[in-house]
Amino acid sequence: MSSWFDGLTTSGIPLIRRLSEIPLTRRLSQIPLILSLSKDERRRAVAMLLTGLCILSHLQPAFAYVKFGVRVGGQTVTLKWAQTPARYFVTDASVPGVTATDLQGALGRAFASWQGVPTSAISYQLGGFTNARPGDEDGLSTIGFRNRPDLDRVLGSTSFLVDNTTGALLESDIFFNASFAWSVASNGEAGKFDLESIALHEIGHFSGLGHSAIGETELRPDGGRRVLAAEAVMFPIAYSAGTVTGRTLRPDDIAGISDIYPDGGFATATGSLSGRVTKNGQGLFGAHIVAFDPGDGTMVGNFALNAQGEFSMAGLRPGPHVVRVEPIDDADLDSFFDPNRNVDIDFRVTYFDGLVIVPRGADSGSIEIKVVQK
Amino acid sequence: MRSAFAAMFVLTVAVPVRATVLIGADLGQLAHDAVAIARGRVAAVDAQWTPDRRAIETLVTLEVDTYLKGALGGTVQFLVPGGSLGRYRSIVVGAPQFAVDDRVVVFLGARGPSVPYVVGFSQGVFRVVRSGDGSTWLVTPPAPMPSAAPVPVTIVRGDPQRRPLPLNDFEQRVRALAGGAR
Repeated sequence: MSSWFDGLTTSGIPLIRRLSEIPLTRRLSQIPLILSLSKDERRRAVAMLLTGLCILSHLQPAFAYVKFGVRVGGQTVTLKWAQTPARYFVTDASVPGVTATDLQGALGRAFASWQGVPTSAISYQLGGFTNARPGDEDGLSTIGFRNRPDLDRVLGSTSFLVDNTTGALLESDIFFNASFAWSVASNGEAGKFDLESIALHEIGHFSGLGHSAIGETELRPDGGRRVLAAEAVMFPIAYSAGTVTGRTLRPDDIAGISDIYPDGGFATATGSLSGRVTKNGQGLFGAHIVAFDPGDGTMVGNFALNAQGEFSMAGLRPGPHVVRVEPIDDADLDSFFDPNRNVDIDFRVTYFDGLVIVPRGADSGSIEIKVVQK
Repeated sequence: MRSAFAAMFVLTVAVPVRATVLIGADLGQLAHDAVAIARGRVAAVDAQWTPDRRAIETLVTLEVDTYLKGALGGTVQFLVPGGSLGRYRSIVVGAPQFAVDDRVVVFLGARGPSVPYVVGFSQGVFRVVRSGDGSTWLVTPPAPMPSAAPVPVTIVRGDPQRRPLPLNDFEQRVRALAGGAR
């Protein structure tokens, strides 16, 4: 997604922070070399390094997960299953081209993808077929088709029933809109949306993941927006009908599910990066922060989620990162934030003036990124 | 080390529920699909059981300042899925949420005699807010305008030209799009 690096040439020269705190790998050996160059040489070297990152970003997966939460008694409680396996039921209704058995099969593959993440402890269990409807508040987590022509641009959606007093997750349903044409063909079918891809996205929500902002769209001359690239299954806009691109979890999604339901060495093998985004000396709510890892080309993202503009990204590979801040000015803000929050999108893309070192099993220490109005 | 990790994961906070998977729309499509486009103030938000008492929905009452397309009266009501009733909260991820005194432009659809709904889920709601200095009303987020180019146009995040539109400009464009312009 090259557009993430637009404005690159105006960024400053990266500096190494706290080099003594980390074990340098061979991947880092290029960075002291950059520091020994002249100013112009350094600019060119950094531009080349980051151009390389642009190319890598097309090839390598990225991180950018967000967890769901609900407000209970003035506190935000992470929305997650208290006990696993999370049990679900499949409706016995079919749609043209997709039988109830096909539906069960596609769901089974999608659930298996999430359950197969080695650093996550999440698990699921099929309870069987049901004639209940997804969306009914009946205590069953039900997944299936419903004909909702009124939800004219919604392929699928996940709902939750939550206990207002505790924030406990009681039930989660997923519906796929039968108003659209669906396919379970292994290579997809022209003009039909791939059920497994959409199921994979919705099961991410079912498990407690929100949307990722790492994706890029284009406006079509014949109307509408089309996804050009999305480095997360949890990007909110679907790929076009006929493609099965969305069937594979990306490291973004894997980090997210591992953060909510950690297992193995996820926490001890990674580090975090934290800091604050400010504009005119004040904290900025809603900025999207992306950390680029020059070592493997991956990206990790999160939002500044309080009035102080503070952010933190967990699950990063230890080592140096380039940090970029950008406004979510190309997206439906309600898809990411509470509508009552004042999200500031009037600022320029900004790079932190230096590389930030993420230590293994600890935090980078807070950085401040100052942005200016557009 | 353990304390460092504890702090790290506390900071990696959760956000309120917002999500679904959508077919992306531009403003022209939303304007075409809507039977009415209203700007106004949210006067009431009332959660209720659906008629079959199997789910929770929310009836939103909007005091309309003006219509940019169609007309459904000085006060219009529309339904959004989910809501909070007593001990239970039903959250339909991706469904737009409203609070009393919100100022919004909503793109409304209707089928038969049913209560109107929001076209495109959260894509069909635009928030009207005061500018930072309080001098004018702005519409946010910046609406994805239909492309006039004969080829696809990539939407570049952070484009300095993409800013919240002044309300008057937004309304002029919506009226033109609702009238069939591209």
